[in-house]
Amino acid sequence: MKKQRSFLMVGGVNPPSVKLSPGGERIANASIPAFALIPMLQHAGSPAVCLVRPGDRVQEGMLIGKADGVRSANVHASIPGTVVRVEQATGADGTASVSALIEFGGEFARTGKPRERNEWEMLSPTDLLGRIHSSGVVGLGGGLLPTHLKLGRQAVHKAAFLIANGVECEPSLHADVSLMREKSREIAVGMLICKRILEAEHLVLAIGQSHEEELAPLFREAFDDAAQCRIAALPERYPQGHEDLVRKSIIDLAAWADGAGTPGAGGRECVVLNVATLFAVYEAVVLDRPLIERFITVTGSAVRRPGVLKVRIGTRVGDLFEECGGLVEPPGKVVLGGPMRGVSVTSLDFPVTKGVSGIVAFTRSEARTGPEVPCIRCGACVEACPWGLVPTRLHKLIARGSITAALSEGLSQCTECGCCAFACPSRIPLVDSLRSGKRLGALRHHD
Amino acid sequence: MWTACEAGNGWELCAIMTESNRGMASPQLAVSPAPHVGGLASSLRLNWSVACCLLPAAAWGVFLFGVPALEVLAVGVGTALLAELLTGLAWGRMTVRDGSAMVTGLMVGMLMPPGVPLYVPAAASAFGIVVVKQSFGGLGRNWMNPALGGVVFALFSWSDAMSRWLPARGAAEGAAALSPLSALRNALAGGKAAHGGLLALLGANGYPWSAADGRVVTWVNGHVLSILGASLPRGAFDMLVGNIPGGVGVVSVPLLLVGAAYLLARSVIRWQVPLTYLVTFCVIAQLFGGLPMGRGWLAGGMLFQLFSGSLVLGAFFMATDPVTSPLTRWGKLIYGVCLGILTFFLRYFGAPGDGVPLAILLGNCLAPLIDRSTRPRARPSGKAAMA
Amino acid sequence: MTPSAGFTKGLFRDNPVAVTLIGLCPAAAVTGRVIDALWMSVGLIFVLVLTRLSQTILQAMLALTESASQSSPSTEARPFRWLGSLVFASCFTASFELILLAFVPDESASLGIYVPLIAVNCIVLERFAASGNREPVRNIGRDIAKSLQESGGLGVGFAISLIAISLVRETLGSGTITLFPIGSFAGTIEAGNVSLAPARALAYAGGGLLCLGYLAGAARLLGRLKGRRLEGQGGTEAERS
Repeated sequence: MKKQRSFLMVGGVNPPSVKLSPGGERIANASIPAFALIPMLQHAGSPAVCLVRPGDRVQEGMLIGKADGVRSANVHASIPGTVVRVEQATGADGTASVSALIEFGGEFARTGKPRERNEWEMLSPTDLLGRIHSSGVVGLGGGLLPTHLKLGRQAVHKAAFLIANGVECEPSLHADVSLMREKSREIAVGMLICKRILEAEHLVLAIGQSHEEELAPLFREAFDDAAQCRIAALPERYPQGHEDLVRKSIIDLAAWADGAGTPGAGGRECVVLNVATLFAVYEAVVLDRPLIERFITVTGSAVRRPGVLKVRIGTRVGDLFEECGGLVEPPGKVVLGGPMRGVSVTSLDFPVTKGVSGIVAFTRSEARTGPEVPCIRCGACVEACPWGLVPTRLHKLIARGSITAALSEGLSQCTECGCCAFACPSRIPLVDSLRSGKRLGALRHHD
Repeated sequence: MWTACEAGNGWELCAIMTESNRGMASPQLAVSPAPHVGGLASSLRLNWSVACCLLPAAAWGVFLFGVPALEVLAVGVGTALLAELLTGLAWGRMTVRDGSAMVTGLMVGMLMPPGVPLYVPAAASAFGIVVVKQSFGGLGRNWMNPALGGVVFALFSWSDAMSRWLPARGAAEGAAALSPLSALRNALAGGKAAHGGLLALLGANGYPWSAADGRVVTWVNGHVLSILGASLPRGAFDMLVGNIPGGVGVVSVPLLLVGAAYLLARSVIRWQVPLTYLVTFCVIAQLFGGLPMGRGWLAGGMLFQLFSGSLVLGAFFMATDPVTSPLTRWGKLIYGVCLGILTFFLRYFGAPGDGVPLAILLGNCLAPLIDRSTRPRARPSGKAAMA
Repeated sequence: MTPSAGFTKGLFRDNPVAVTLIGLCPAAAVTGRVIDALWMSVGLIFVLVLTRLSQTILQAMLALTESASQSSPSTEARPFRWLGSLVFASCFTASFELILLAFVPDESASLGIYVPLIAVNCIVLERFAASGNREPVRNIGRDIAKSLQESGGLGVGFAISLIAISLVRETLGSGTITLFPIGSFAGTIEAGNVSLAPARALAYAGGGLLCLGYLAGAARLLGRLKGRRLEGQGGTEAERS
């Protein structure tokens, strides 16, 4: 594998990060929950159709929600037991969907039993896609797009690059790095499977610079032929790990490596997949195992021993603090996801879904935000924005109601990364404002 | 942990207490939009840092000029705070806490000559706060620097009061106190000529440098510079340290630089504007400054120009005001260059005065234009395609 | 924007300088002294009322001739409205200029170029007043009365604004209040302590615009306090997309 020199992203910020406890970077298994609340909508698209009713007995890994239409994904039971209730429940981000509550009981069909491996090299791309689809694999890096959709689009066939994104985007989250450390072979197989489906030209693994020394040798060994995959080490400035920035950096790196004049990917497609998604692809294709668990970082100043856990989908968020030594003090704020882009929750009773990559518990003093002061036009947000937008101007336009003007100044490019709001000394909720502006713009567009 | 309890006609979920999360079954959680961490910077802290960094130079002014200087500062600051308080009450928005009124009042006070009748700083502060800042929408919405707006208002309203100075410490008795710039103008207009730099010119026309200056300059010339064959003119020490007639907080360049260094180190102000401003002005002044004085090219005496008037205060504290200066880095660089050029023209060819307040005000008017032309290019994120 | 009928509305609701922001040129220029503002107001009222009156009579005469010849009223008469306005305003302004020169030459010199500019302001104001009266002429007497009321209101409103600005501006900017000399009174009042060190910045044109701005702001505030929407704002929010 060739190692490339790192390429700098413009802008971005360095938010503070909570360190894991000693030994916390080893993935620990969270206990099986007594109850699992599994929503039918854990992906981007239409909710799955619930196939079970209260009273049904389910096996571990059984299909309980069938994908509804093209832009949808299957949902499986993560624990064996009995379905207690099936009704509408509101998720942490406010969307409501039908959810099945399963009470644990019975024996495991798969866990603890020897696994049989499938010969995936013999399968055709269509069969591979079919396995991925039936296992309900979605983009676990945050996009939650059903993976079979992402890989099956006609436009990405014969893509130039398949990029495995192992650059941990958010501060304080370490699950991806731990996964790469412990499951490098499996991720390598996942990458090869996806490359096979896409018939992609090159495989690239993007990792953070501080982990390069540790992880690069692991991946070099994981691939049979070292030239199969290139490793790119990117600086870990937030939000370098964002899908679009990784794509841009890799394309620019490739252009640099191939010599000036070569346009790199030259307008051909690039597919970026998170390493956790690739691991799920491996499990789906090789082990025939659906997506029923996730690797999550439980962290924050209020957690006694922050660490990485392997959690069954549907586990109650509040219970996971137990696994990490409990909470040091009553939390002031709990966020599902990362500190920069996550959703703050009203209670600890929400389930872990496919989209939860981390749980951050802030102390009371951290949760207090300062008073909001008018914009002093310091320009910090302009310097922080990785996309070259002027957030203060967009915020003013949106506050005035001039959504069209805001859209013409690049509002649709905003990825809500949060760099501008982080950098703002006046504590203006810029992301909130830009997000509402985008929503208004989309509404008007549909009118 | 969830468990099921029988309640009503079915199972209900309830949380059971475990040892470590007793009392935390339903914690009061704050809910707010992402991001959930913030940087260390805070606008309040920015303003109060600037106010603190102005204090050393202000204290020097009080030390030099005595009680009149203190009165001017007190009236400037007091009126500014009072005006902010009253407008806040009228508006329903109390903004005194954010420190900007304190900075405005302090800067107005520091730009005033000591001994000026007290209604002048009062009117300047009140004008700056009420007319320039609050009438346009308060903090962040003024298009002109409030302190400078007030000072220029005072300059035009009471021009003779604003050009009457108090003598420095230990100045030789005799002629009325003149700031170095005014003395230079008089000397060029009808005084004696002299060889050497501008300080020599002032000396030849009887500028009352202090006795301390005499001692230091003689010592340095005798012990240090005689080896190199150079000599400092009389007045170098006075100008360097700031023992000259001038505005209350404007004269001491070293103390201003100390404050500015702290602000730069903490990233409260950025280096782009002050550096380009000072460099542009010094280069132009040195190259062309001698021409209107009839002294030829490269004889502009840039050090003299740097240490007289409110140039250093303006460059580090007033031109860097974030509200009235451009947003982007390139914009700030262009802004600094414009200010340097404007100051040169206003100081040499404009009305008597040091040209800095008016130059910065003109720069403030240019700032939106600079902003518009230096807007960063949006880099495509692929999001638009997904819409 | 339609002007409101009646004398009082010209004072407050359609006040030229403070609300509709018409006639700003003399408002900034001649308000340096109270006496100048007074004479400018007199001039404007004189020219405006007479122009409006003459215009109304002209309209009536045209309407009569049209009905006599049975041709369509509006299309033929339109050019005459502007032309009439121009000619009448210029004539009456010239007359006022000569009157000033004859009887109060000092004042004529002090006002300078702004006396001929009365014509400009009056044309605009007269057209503004006329824009609400588009119905055909029915009762000449009533129309004349109405036009006198409207133009009188606008003129007096203008006068009030100008005098308000000049009082503030002269007192603070020069420390005096200049009025007519009557008997032993020389005409200039010293305004106490301010006259020792007036804020000369207000005596400049910029200071005049400043006072003008605050007058307009005060008018808006009054209107808002009384809960009425003031028509004819100078700065509309054109950025609404």
